[in-house]
Amino acid sequence: MLKNVLTLDCKQQAERICSFIRRQTQALKREGAVVGLSGGVDSALIAALCVEALGKDRVLGLILPEKESSPDSCKFAEKHALKLDINTETVEITSPLEAFGTYKKRDEIIKQFFPEYNKDYKIKIVLPPDLLGQDAFNLFRLITKDGKGNIRSVRLNKAALNGIVAATNTKQRMRMLHLYFYAEKKNYLVGGTTNKSENMQGFFVKYGDGGVDIEPIAHLFKTQVYQLAEYMGVIREIIERKPSPDTYSLPVDDEEFFFRMPFDTLDLLLYAWENKLPLADICAVMELSEEQVKRAFRDFTAKSNASRHARKMPPTLEAENGK
Amino acid sequence: MPEDTKKILKDFIRDSFLPFAEENPFEDEDSFMEKGMINSTGVLELLQFIEETFEITVEDEEVIPDNLDSLNKLVSFVERKTNA
Repeated sequence: MLKNVLTLDCKQQAERICSFIRRQTQALKREGAVVGLSGGVDSALIAALCVEALGKDRVLGLILPEKESSPDSCKFAEKHALKLDINTETVEITSPLEAFGTYKKRDEIIKQFFPEYNKDYKIKIVLPPDLLGQDAFNLFRLITKDGKGNIRSVRLNKAALNGIVAATNTKQRMRMLHLYFYAEKKNYLVGGTTNKSENMQGFFVKYGDGGVDIEPIAHLFKTQVYQLAEYMGVIREIIERKPSPDTYSLPVDDEEFFFRMPFDTLDLLLYAWENKLPLADICAVMELSEEQVKRAFRDFTAKSNASRHARKMPPTLEAENGK
Repeated sequence: MPEDTKKILKDFIRDSFLPFAEENPFEDEDSFMEKGMINSTGVLELLQFIEETFEITVEDEEVIPDNLDSLNKLVSFVERKTNA
């Protein structure tokens, strides 16, 4: 039963979400929706749902590449938009990021570890793989690849990790600025693309991709996003692509960057964790040991706690006092 | 040495991860992760501290809960490393 618990009735689900989008657009007195098309499955699905809910003439797709984005991101986003027959704007955000100092601030940190680092290098940060296979803390490493293809890695320290993440998160925040510029200009709302697997564990940037007006798929696990994406006709290239934050110059997928297990396993465990299912049942159905399940739950708890603030409005004294 | 090590580590953990907490916010056996005391940056901070303070090198393979996820485990680990 647990194995099938995340299977969607896609028709009913699409109708439910489209109705939500229409209600919210009306409630916010907006005339349409802007969606940032990343070339990934979540934003592709949101664009398709917005078209279904509001009509293609009331949806604007924004494509916001920067110099370190995968070329596929732009290509797939454009192809999907063409299929949906929606208007798009493509805005290169490398210049504003350079003006802010995104790359410079990050590269200065990398040079502390690799003084010879230069523009030919590509980088990413990753966590230890396979949480279920081997217990390990969430220990971030910086991976570099030089112009000749030599790969090296180093464990980061706290200041370096925080600095690299802070600099990199300006990419999502720069995109948010652009989304709201177009949204306000056209009196549209900004459609969010965060799914439940991401939302529960804080895999989004506060005031970046988390800075939106509505979150139509925040109740769907990633594996359910794929089911609905198939149903809504998201293009094959996007569905078959490995999900990635696409914010580092070396390819990095969501699993190695954050989740540490495949989405089909992750989503079932998240469901079991959220619904407090009996440990013995989970182990039996998923063929995992108690230790593995507890390890996953410990990781979920840690990530959920660490990101709680990002899911809430800023605290106020009145709210704290229950008013 | 053991008491010194324990006090140094306990003070560091309290000051770094629970700076506004009351006098004894955690027990020696408490899991840092289960109590929500340590996150991914906290682990890096802890590693840097023990490497610099006790002049040891901690390999990635050693950064596991069995070695680091309570004050008692941490003390044992540091003692093993400094005596090695």
